[in-house]
Parts: sequence; structure tokens; C-alpha cells
Amino acid sequence: MNKFFMVATMLVALIPGLAIAGDSPAPDNARVYFLWPKNGTTIKGGKFWARFGLQNMGVAPAGVVKSGTGHHHLIIDADLPSFDEEIPADRNHVHYGKGYSEGRVELPPGRHTLQLLFADHGHFPHNPPVYSEKITILVPAE
Amino acid sequence: MKMLKASIALAALIISGAAVAGDSPAPKKAYLYIGWPNDGEVIRSNNFKVWFGLRNMGVAPAGVDKPLTGHHHLIVDAPLPPMDQEIPADRNHLHFGKGQTETRITLEPGTHTLQLLLADYNHVPHNPPVVSRKITITVK
Repeated sequence: MNKFFMVATMLVALIPGLAIAGDSPAPDNARVYFLWPKNGTTIKGGKFWARFGLQNMGVAPAGVVKSGTGHHHLIIDADLPSFDEEIPADRNHVHYGKGYSEGRVELPPGRHTLQLLFADHGHFPHNPPVYSEKITILVPAE
Repeated sequence: MKMLKASIALAALIISGAAVAGDSPAPKKAYLYIGWPNDGEVIRSNNFKVWFGLRNMGVAPAGVDKPLTGHHHLIVDAPLPPMDQEIPADRNHLHFGKGQTETRITLEPGTHTLQLLLADYNHVPHNPPVVSRKITITVK
């Protein structure tokens, strides 16, 4: 019994180590990027539409299981989250589960980072994960 | 009897006249536009990217029946098709049924028109139809 327990514990310990990305495959040439804003853009007032570029994959609303698709997540002022968990939903991780290809953003004055992370029907990043370059924008003080 | 026939014909006429769009509703503030190229753009390559802009509605692959979503159709060098039927699929009506939000197209040198038309899971435009402005570009 003790031995069984040990093996079971070891297996459980190994599984999370293996799960470095979600189960939904993404093609190697998939690419997500910002059409706008560009890295280094200064945005007066801090209110803008961020336009999401996506190559070699399609958009589907959250909950729709369809290969080669996913939905956008905008990461604001934060690092990439873990790829083997659901992307958190908070003010730093904005979900576009309705299938949007652009998002209205309002940011206070200061320097901000933006990054896109694509994810599958269950909000898990693909395998391999599809994410954009992290860009920095500046909202000038009024 | 004659009267009945006439009424049926009249009713059929009214119904067909009323069918100016599909059955899937679109919000009034839905906004579809070509994000690139710009109207009047002169493009020095016959192969270029077209980016599909859509606000206040979402994209879903063809066949996915989800309210307030649709998929893009790019109309090249052609007028808008009828709004109460499936959009044709040919070289002038390109379907993006996998949920794509951009494409690359190849066009001969010359002047061309581009226009986007969103349609529902069945390829029928929404009610009211969600259409972009028609732009004109020149390929050199």
C-alpha cells in the first residue's frame, strides 16, 4: 500500500512538469501580432483600439471547439502567464471570448506594456503557444 | 378563387420584397472596415495583405451558430451580392470560413475595388447587413 502511494505521488508530481502547453495544436507558422499600436507609440489620452493581427489561424468565440482556431487575450502591464493553465481573467489579462479582433483599451498616463496571447476554446494557450512580441507604449501626462 | 390567387401572389410579392437581409441579427453599432490597405492606396507589389477590421461583433468560423458573430467575405472588383442569399464563392467573392481576420491576395496591375461583407454561419448577410465602405486601390 505504501509503495502504491509513493508511485501515485511520483506520477502526480511528474504530470504538471510535462504540461508546458495546452492540448490544442497550433501550426508552426501561426503568428499573432499588433497591427496597432506599434512598439514605442505615444498615445495622447490613453484611449485607443488595439488591433490584433493573426496569421495562419482563425478566430472562434470561447467555448467553440474547432481546430486551428482560438481567441485573443490582451496582457496589460504583466508577464506571460503559465502556458499550462487557463489564462487568468483580471485587469491585466483581458479576454476577447466573443471572437473580437480588436479591443478598446483605456490606460492612465505612464509607460505600459501590451502583449497578445492566443488561446483555445477553454482559455488554454495552444501547443506551441502563440503569442506576440511584448510592446511598450507611452501615455503622456495631461 | 381568382381573388384568392391574386391575394397569394400579392402576399408572395410582399414577402420576397421584405427579404432584404438574412435572419441573423447584427447590432446597429457593428462596424466593418478594411484596416489595410487604405482607400486610394498605391501598392507596389501584386501580392499584399488585407486586414479585416470589425468592431462590436465577433468572428466565428462558418458553421458555428453563435449570436453576434460572423465570418468575413472579401469582395474584389464586384458589386455587393443580394443580401438575402448565400454569398457566392468565386474569384470575386472570397470566403474566410476558418475565422481568418486577414489575408494575402494577388491582383494584376491596375485599379481594383475591395469591400468586406460579414455573413452568418450559413454565409447569409446579417440583418441589417454589416458591410464596409468600398475602397479603390491601384496595383503597380
